[in-house]
Amino acid sequence: MDSDLAVFIQQTVNAISLGGTYALLALGLAIIFSIMGMINFAHGELMTITGYTLMYCGLAGLPFYISAPLAMMVAVVSAVLMERIAFRPVRGGSPASMLVTSFAVAIILQTLFQNLISPRSKAVPLPDVFAHSIHFGELSIGINQILSISLTVVILVTLNWFLRKTILGMAMRAAAEDFSVARLMGVKANAVISGAFAISGALAGAAGVLWVAQRASVDPHMGFVPVLKAFIAAILGGLGSLTGAVAGGFALGFIEIYLAAYLPDHIQPFKEALALGLVILVLLFRPNGLIPAATVGREKV
Amino acid sequence: MLKMLKLATCAVALLVAGTISSANAGDTLTIGLATGQTGGLAPYDGPAIEGFQIAVDEINGAGGIGGNIMIKMISKDTRSDAAQTSIAAQELLEMGIDILVTPSDADPAFAAAALATDAKVPAFSPAASSPTLPLMGGDFMFANFPGDNVQATVSAEWAYGEGFRNAYILYSPDTQYTTLPLYFSDVWKVLGGTVAGEGTYVMGQQDFSAEVTKIKALNPPVDVIMTAAYEPDFPAFIRQLRSAGVTAQVIGSDGIDSPTTFSLGDAGDGVVFSTAGHALPGSALEEFNNKFKATYGRDADTIFAAIGYDLMKVIEAGVLAAGSTDSVAIRDAVANLENVQGVTSVITYKGTTGMPVRQVSLIRVKGGDRELVAQPSPTASLVPAPRMQ
Repeated sequence: MDSDLAVFIQQTVNAISLGGTYALLALGLAIIFSIMGMINFAHGELMTITGYTLMYCGLAGLPFYISAPLAMMVAVVSAVLMERIAFRPVRGGSPASMLVTSFAVAIILQTLFQNLISPRSKAVPLPDVFAHSIHFGELSIGINQILSISLTVVILVTLNWFLRKTILGMAMRAAAEDFSVARLMGVKANAVISGAFAISGALAGAAGVLWVAQRASVDPHMGFVPVLKAFIAAILGGLGSLTGAVAGGFALGFIEIYLAAYLPDHIQPFKEALALGLVILVLLFRPNGLIPAATVGREKV
Repeated sequence: MLKMLKLATCAVALLVAGTISSANAGDTLTIGLATGQTGGLAPYDGPAIEGFQIAVDEINGAGGIGGNIMIKMISKDTRSDAAQTSIAAQELLEMGIDILVTPSDADPAFAAAALATDAKVPAFSPAASSPTLPLMGGDFMFANFPGDNVQATVSAEWAYGEGFRNAYILYSPDTQYTTLPLYFSDVWKVLGGTVAGEGTYVMGQQDFSAEVTKIKALNPPVDVIMTAAYEPDFPAFIRQLRSAGVTAQVIGSDGIDSPTTFSLGDAGDGVVFSTAGHALPGSALEEFNNKFKATYGRDADTIFAAIGYDLMKVIEAGVLAAGSTDSVAIRDAVANLENVQGVTSVITYKGTTGMPVRQVSLIRVKGGDRELVAQPSPTASLVPAPRMQ
């Protein structure tokens, strides 16, 4: 195989893997936004909680195939509790008060991690297999990347099935279309919103496992960068649209990897700025994102 | 009327307090610490101040510096933020501190340096290693760590001596410290090696797959890769690099002198990095590490604790040489200090611009532990001049 082509294919695999993680993250934000009209900036802290759970499980000697699902479960429970304790009292408030509440939750959690666990970053023990890869000719795919791509596929397929085939899933779609009418049809607001938070918790947990498997450490502020990326991806894809969030995540992954791969060395320091510039360019032509939600601007709960 | 009375009482109280503290100035050295106890610098500033505290307790326990000057510490957390650092430094300077300790990274330290220089109070960064810090920070700014240009020279000379010839550097323009590999590149070219590429990353980017793919595609393959990336970037980079099957020697610098580096398993094994000391059996550093464990009940798993201890020893030597707690006298005395015995190294400021002359150690990660590679002195003519940006 031509070596330039091999590099291109390799970079594409890299982009799919990174884009998959961004897609999971953006989806977690989008599912809450589609129903409540709120951007949950504490989404990153759910990833941090996943990371700390992995760390403690590792210290307790649990194998990774048990600690990873356990960490995801902890993220689901935390997300549901977050909604019950912090967001339910402000439900129906202005978007600004919900946004500020989510920032407050994020900062409170960061402070708790800092004071109760450690302000310094903690190593997360991972199986050595995560630092290995499978080689196909010139192509090498890291175990990490395989995990990332397959987890993304499994979650997207399951979520699609859930939203289309189950009662709760259909209720959630109905609520996203028009919450008031959905409630008149007998859909319970609390069940739908708790369900949405549980799903966003699972998505944050999955993304958290992938994120930590890459960096092998966790610190109180770990969630900041990913939630920022998720926010950009969700806006790029079309805020509130689930398909859009996935498209936005992959688009951001492709933009970042291809810029890092093909910009000349002396322009590389500007790659982050160029990536965001491209996002703005897309938004200039498609102000509502790549695949906008059908209900842009409609009133939420 | 009542309000006026209250104000007047406050003013009198303040005046009295002011007189008392200046009357005591002869026997108390007030040190203001504006360091990052939380946030990105916590892995460095946390242990540094723990080590600093051990030295302060020892000195005060023996009756103070020279037996009569007691040390008082006032701490403020800067949350590793540059703006917060300048606020904390300003508050401390207004309290009338004699000495300021800044964060361990050059960028937030710059924020405090100008304020300290204006107030004519000597400022020290425990572990900032950018040689530009004391140059651009003013006459009152001192560092306490081997400079980036010195560390890079030591690493480059070692790697060249090992027979490596084709290097790749990965740096981030985001901070002064993360541009250390550019010094390595300069020295490497002078030595006669080739630099196959100079890659950059964004701090916190985490995904290095694009950079790793580029490194892997280089032809001829590189045999040594130098980076100053640190947590969380370094662990992510080295894991992805090894996962892609690149086996080149990786050289890092002091930022990876942290527990995570030693817990990376196969991926971290064989990494060599430059830092400020190594605890050989029977060394002063080993003795300090035991002291640290006895004080805090856990291991000093990074060099930065001992660096904090040494910083207090430097300040002590400066105050002794100045013979007073007068800030300007201490500044002048520190600038002329020679051969101060610290636990990590012998430290000299005389003849420098504020970047001390101290020993550099090269450490190899082996089986999750430290192995001393060498403690060479760099060839003076090879050390690049500080890169002003």
